Amino acid sequence: MTLAFRFYKMGYCKASGAEVTAMLEKTTRINLLYDFYGPLLTEKQRAMLELYFHEDWSLGEIAGHYGISRQAVYEAVKRAQDAMIDLESRLHLLEKHRRRREIAEEILRRLEDVPEGKRVAEPLLQRLLDLD
Amino acid sequence: MAVRIRLKRMGAKKTPFYRVVVADARSPRDGRFIEEIGYYNPLTDPVQIKIDEEKALKWLATGAQPSDTVRSLFRKAGILKKAHEAKNQK
Repeated sequence: MTLAFRFYKMGYCKASGAEVTAMLEKTTRINLLYDFYGPLLTEKQRAMLELYFHEDWSLGEIAGHYGISRQAVYEAVKRAQDAMIDLESRLHLLEKHRRRREIAEEILRRLEDVPEGKRVAEPLLQRLLDLD
Repeated sequence: MAVRIRLKRMGAKKTPFYRVVVADARSPRDGRFIEEIGYYNPLTDPVQIKIDEEKALKWLATGAQPSDTVRSLFRKAGILKKAHEAKNQK
């Protein structure tokens, strides 16, 4: 998470156009990481990440819900994100999934002229991707 | 009644997309919402943003608070500017 984004989400500064895009991309990246590494987090971390990134609550709303400080929520969300980013840097599950999906799309593109082959390959490729 | 405009994550595992929903701030967890006013799909190239502008402006005018992420979507879609202009006309 970039510093500018963090301050933006915490309401400390206004976002420029590029930061606005960065914020949405960041949310999606965290959500994708969560799909891979969520099971490795604690129950509490999962609950907070889901409120923050799936339900789009603010730090203040989450803090009110749990009866803890906004700072405590921020720290917990940050720690959970850092844990997932660290796991990705070592295991690359998301990156590998992305590359597999690219290759699957390439295969289907090349089968464009072979409808019969495409019909057979498509569900199999989908099953392959679903294994991730 | 405090009303929020939020992004709600939908989509299967590994393929997130988001609905833009209007919801009561006090009962946000049960998944119920007042109205869906658009969606955002980040995985397509280019990304798809579809917002019902009329509804968005109506909710903003009645004081619904967009989340930071929704605010940025609205800014991208040019809705914040229009809401601002509408306000200044009054």
